Amino acid sequence: MQAVGTHRSRVWTARVLFLLPVSVLFFFFFIYPFLFTIYTSFTSWRGIGSMKFNGLANYTKLLGDPTFRKALGNNVVWALSQGFIQVPLACLIAMILVRKPRFWRSLRTIYYLPNVISTVALAMVWVAIYNVEGPLNAILGALFGAEKRNWLGNPDTALFAVIFQTVIYIGYFMIILLASAMNIPRSLYEAAEIDGASTFQQELSITLPMLRGSLITTMTLAMAYGMRHFESTFLMTGGGPAYATTTMGIDLYLKMDALRYSEASTAGVFLIIMGTVVITVLRKIFGSSDPMSEMAQ
Amino acid sequence: MLKKSRLLAALLMLCLVFPLVAQGQVESAPAKEIELRWASIWVGNDSKAPAVEALVAEYNAKNAGKIKVVIEPQPDYNAYEQKVRTSLAAGQAPADIFTIKFNPTTATFYQSNLLMDFAKVMDASWKQTFDAGSLEQSTVDGMLKSLPMETAILPIWYNMDAFKKTGITELPTTLDGMFAAFDKLKAAGITPTSQMTGDTNAWTSMIWFSHFAVSLGGTNVWEKSFTDPAFVEAAKLTKRMITEYSTSDAVGLGAGGSGGHFLAGRTAVFSNGPWYAGRADLAATPFFNSIKIAGLPAAGSTKDFMISRLQANICAASSKDKAREAAIVDFLKFLTSAPSISKIAETSGAMFAIKTDYRPTKALQKQFYDVAVAAKTTAFDLEAALGAEVTLEFAQQLGALALGRISAEEFCALVDRKIER
Repeated sequence: MQAVGTHRSRVWTARVLFLLPVSVLFFFFFIYPFLFTIYTSFTSWRGIGSMKFNGLANYTKLLGDPTFRKALGNNVVWALSQGFIQVPLACLIAMILVRKPRFWRSLRTIYYLPNVISTVALAMVWVAIYNVEGPLNAILGALFGAEKRNWLGNPDTALFAVIFQTVIYIGYFMIILLASAMNIPRSLYEAAEIDGASTFQQELSITLPMLRGSLITTMTLAMAYGMRHFESTFLMTGGGPAYATTTMGIDLYLKMDALRYSEASTAGVFLIIMGTVVITVLRKIFGSSDPMSEMAQ
Repeated sequence: MLKKSRLLAALLMLCLVFPLVAQGQVESAPAKEIELRWASIWVGNDSKAPAVEALVAEYNAKNAGKIKVVIEPQPDYNAYEQKVRTSLAAGQAPADIFTIKFNPTTATFYQSNLLMDFAKVMDASWKQTFDAGSLEQSTVDGMLKSLPMETAILPIWYNMDAFKKTGITELPTTLDGMFAAFDKLKAAGITPTSQMTGDTNAWTSMIWFSHFAVSLGGTNVWEKSFTDPAFVEAAKLTKRMITEYSTSDAVGLGAGGSGGHFLAGRTAVFSNGPWYAGRADLAATPFFNSIKIAGLPAAGSTKDFMISRLQANICAASSKDKAREAAIVDFLKFLTSAPSISKIAETSGAMFAIKTDYRPTKALQKQFYDVAVAAKTTAFDLEAALGAEVTLEFAQQLGALALGRISAEEFCALVDRKIER
């Protein structure tokens, strides 16, 4: 009995030893900065000198700031576009490719290719495309006689323009959904065919329900990305013109740029809250099943 | 089996811990010579890089075995600024020697004990080598935690080849004359100016706005409320420049695009500092020899001034080790000596807050020098005077102003709310 106890104790010691390095790193590089961000959001601090506790002053200021409210609204638009345009688009392509049409392997590679190209390079390409003298205006002019537009310089079109250039890159979510779709047993489709179901009916009644777990996962990932979006917008417009494309991430960055660290922390806390809200709402809408577990199955 | 697992766990821990211990040993080992790390932005393609590298090599040779300066290249300025900010916020100096753009935002760094206060170590002879005004501008509450190094005037660049195509051989001396000249350029199919509202400071348009505001409101204009009529009028003039006399992509355009239009000959007038004069792509332009450097015709009663800024101030890490602090001071005295500065100025064309007998010989750089000397007085640009946050608001709202979404009065009110008083 004592030998079994000693054995268990040794097993636990070994487990603790194995987990210790990563736990220490996780604490210092995630837990500690996370708690530090929350703490500084309740202070007045410019990165230098001592912090002064100022209660909810940063939160009140942030919620009253029209730029931050604009950023919050833009993030919601980003999240909805990612979740309800990009993911359905990825799903549609995955459903086509899973039927293995001609050149499906090449098409799969082509769709995924933008995901391995640097965001900076893609952003620069799109800046050139959207330029007043760029190819987009040239094509629209030649086809429809449309007037030249400053797509990124006009607050009416800038947000649409930056979202469009991200939403069309569906490769990442397509690969996840395609992998799931390929695991759906062929016998289900064969049975449906015998019953006289059309392709559309098969997709609607077999593929989509079977992809439910993967769809919830991809939508969660896409919308979480939308809530914390930063890179391509910052590179293409810097959040302008007149904050038309700004996001919470950009607002946070620019607050740090102006040495308003405590306000940047407050924006960071909002980012975390909004991300949590999105995931919670999605779980409420799509049910309480764990999509990650479903994916694993 | 269990023994093996424990042995494996112990080895794993050892592998993780060893590099950290080893690193500590290297740093704490008694050094024969003092090694100073300089996080330098004057590297790579920067026009000051060759002279700075040569000076560091010269200093290291003279002090072999005693002091060694090691340049840590920082070619990406934005990333470098982030590094300085985050290092100081984390309670660590980014290097023994580093530079900052001095303005009301970065003046916050003076609250840090990590920075050496040069006011305490500066003797009279060293102090005399600096331009007194620049030293005063770099002093906050009696502390001199950054030394003024590179300065800049921000004039207007005129491509006279383009002007000559319309029959204009002399620069306009009045604002009306300038608009008339711009109309002629437009009629000849040449876009007059390179304006922009992009990036975090709408750089080239910010320079134009600063010229207008100072001329209309005086050299102390930045002390006034931003709703002052001088700013409102300057905003109207800048809007006119963007909407009537610039490229169609000016709203949202960045500094690279704005400069690119001028370099490609698509625009005839540009604005930037002397560092732009040393660019190889500028020297390769067919109109390089026709470029004329000057101010803007006066928009108000203040005339014969030049917009200027402290472009790069040098900071040093404070140290309890007196020998290390003395080594830093020794190197900075060498770097800011008149002969060293002359060498950097000669190769780069940049301007400095250190008094030298150096007079530029290259035509374009000579023009900068002549314009600076001819100016009766100088005034800061908007960013240098009011800091990063105000400038960001200026840039963002300038787009809205140019597109007619807000009036000049609303524009000024929006910028004004970002000014801390």
